Amino acid sequence: MALAEARNNIVQGKEGDKIISSIAMIVALVSFGMLFLTLMMSFALYRFTAPIWPPAGMERPSLIIPLISTFLIILSSLTYISFEKKTAKGMIDKQGLGMTLVLGTAFMVSQFVFWSHLKSHGIYVSSGIFASVMYGFTWIHAAHIVVALTLLAWLYNKLSSPDKMTAVLVSSIGKFWHFLGIVWLIMFVTIFVL
Amino acid sequence: MAFFEQEIHDAPTTFLSKYVFSFDHKVIAKQFLWYGIAFLGIGGMMALLIRWTLAFPGEAFPILGPLLFPGNNGVVPADTYAMLFTLHGTIMIFYAITPILIGAFGNFCIPLMIGARDMVFPTLNMLSFWLAVLSALLLLASLFTPLGGAAGGWTSYPTLSTLIGSPGIGQTLWCLALFVLGVSSTMGAVNYIATIITLRAPGMGYFDMPLTVWGLWLTAILNAIFLPVLGAGLLLLTFDRVFGTTFFLAGAAATSGSGDPVLFQHVFWIFGHPEVYILILPAWGIVSDLLSFFSRKPAFGAKATALAMTSVTILSTLVYGHHMYSTQMSPLLTQSFMMLTMTISIPSAVFFANWLGTLWKGSLRFQTPMLFSLGVVFVFGLGGLTGLYLATVSTDLYLHDTYFVVGHFHYTMAASVLLGGFAGTYFWFPKMYGRMMNERLGKIHFWISMVGLNGIFMGMMVIGYAGMHRRIYNPFVYEFLQNLIPLNKFITFSALTMGLGQLFFVYNFIHSMYKGPIATQNPWEVGTLDWTIPSPAPHYNFKEIPVVRCGPHELGNPNLVGKDFQYQTEELVKA
Repeated sequence: MALAEARNNIVQGKEGDKIISSIAMIVALVSFGMLFLTLMMSFALYRFTAPIWPPAGMERPSLIIPLISTFLIILSSLTYISFEKKTAKGMIDKQGLGMTLVLGTAFMVSQFVFWSHLKSHGIYVSSGIFASVMYGFTWIHAAHIVVALTLLAWLYNKLSSPDKMTAVLVSSIGKFWHFLGIVWLIMFVTIFVL
Repeated sequence: MAFFEQEIHDAPTTFLSKYVFSFDHKVIAKQFLWYGIAFLGIGGMMALLIRWTLAFPGEAFPILGPLLFPGNNGVVPADTYAMLFTLHGTIMIFYAITPILIGAFGNFCIPLMIGARDMVFPTLNMLSFWLAVLSALLLLASLFTPLGGAAGGWTSYPTLSTLIGSPGIGQTLWCLALFVLGVSSTMGAVNYIATIITLRAPGMGYFDMPLTVWGLWLTAILNAIFLPVLGAGLLLLTFDRVFGTTFFLAGAAATSGSGDPVLFQHVFWIFGHPEVYILILPAWGIVSDLLSFFSRKPAFGAKATALAMTSVTILSTLVYGHHMYSTQMSPLLTQSFMMLTMTISIPSAVFFANWLGTLWKGSLRFQTPMLFSLGVVFVFGLGGLTGLYLATVSTDLYLHDTYFVVGHFHYTMAASVLLGGFAGTYFWFPKMYGRMMNERLGKIHFWISMVGLNGIFMGMMVIGYAGMHRRIYNPFVYEFLQNLIPLNKFITFSALTMGLGQLFFVYNFIHSMYKGPIATQNPWEVGTLDWTIPSPAPHYNFKEIPVVRCGPHELGNPNLVGKDFQYQTEELVKA
């Protein structure tokens, strides 16, 4: 009975609320996008004006840890997509969201591992522009990930008693999570690979 | 148009929920108004301290000087002077104009003028205000740090703003304060954009919105897009200051590898140029509406005005390089930026001509809001025209960093926006507080302000043309500037006059709140939706969501019977 009611609530989420939330979320993501775009513009400038990259005889850190991070964040987005699809059908897939949460947390862990890896290779925050980019950009991204993980955990908690706004939350928070995944992919290609 | 039923909530009853943590857009608007006016006072006092120093170098500031600077015989010390002009700019732009024009009028006018019961996200709205308060606390706290507040100019260029130029925690707090304020403004922007798209009353197309709402909407769009650019710059600057990264350090300042100090200028002005339009667009919108209302005529070419403002919004994103002509930019780039900047003249001329067209053959009512609107037409015209000299590379290289620049941007950003803000305050005061402001005091306030600010900013352009540099503590150590002292005294006396003139406003505002004559529902006889409801507006705004049947400027139609305007809810009377 309770399950049927919950399912009803999700399916009956108001169309208007969904549209309004989408508009607001898109505007918000444009804002976040401009923040990261500015970082990318800065990176392009550093990259193209430096005679050699990484500059000042610095060694590139190995790609293995960033690759694992990339793998984790792609997986977390995929699990979230399947969670979203099930929600649209009126199912409460706590396990699916749980997977996203675990993978997202694992991504954060991989970031900490990456930072200590940098330190163990003598790349400190104050070791010049290459280190600044490596640390500064990943910090800013990680700060957003922390916010997003908090939102996901809150959503996980809310799934126990879904109401008419749940479907709206699922799609809004999802937009943010996928957005952060895309930003990571761009950062991976630009600041790590290139 | 309506995406959901807007329910009527119960009126809040406790003091906290009614006046402090209110979800009501009208209360939040008033909170922002008071916040902005308080900072206008602080920023204005700073301006007077700066002006005094330039007119009477080495002399104690009367009365306040000995209290503020007891160690220096009441004279403003040189390092404090740098702090004063930095914080004057910061406070006026981010803590006075932004809250008044965008925070107060945005919150107050948007729902009322589009026929909505509140903003679409009331909680976000409240959060936006309280983040702005947090930001103000951070900024004010920076004044009490050991080395004082930020002193790198409101543009905070590295290396002035890195640890080399500004050791001490003041500049870091400044960065954090502006970052928090940026978050607050972005929240507001998301709210405004979504509200205007989704909550317009049935029947209200985009071109049926009053131009005030157009201005605020375009402002919100620019805010949402460009504030994060400054946010990114401030974050990187904070990292440089706190964690020792080298994003904006180069040469000997960076231990190894090399950042780029000029990058910050790019980032700052990519945000900064749209920012000046963020500030002026609401004022343009308000003035476009008020000129029509008080000329008792439809706004001439209202659609063209809206489209021209939109074009300016788009062009404003492409011209930031004209702030950086003297940074060894390639001539190819400077010329491109010059061309693009000049292009802004075209849409600006369109709506400016529309303003004049609105006035032409109108039956003008010279009430206080109209006087202030006409003031905007005059000062913005002058400010806009002097901008051409700064957009042109060849003249800018001479005028760069002189008082001509200061005069120019004060005419456009300070004078126009301030007068526009006053026009709006006098105009919507009845709807906010249910009482009228005093007309006579309002007119005295207008004339003192108008004469005062023209004396100040015209004078600044003249001394700038004569070569006086912007940020020097005592320019008169240079022989060629010594004969400018009388003119500087004139500017300072104009500033003192203008400052004293504001007391008329403060008295009028506070007195009218309690003792002013009770306002009727529609004291100005205009037809927009905000005047179809009682004054002051009830907490739910509209008992019934109105249905819009005509545009906002249907005035002076000869076929109207008994009145010369019609409400937007009435069927259009054929002319």
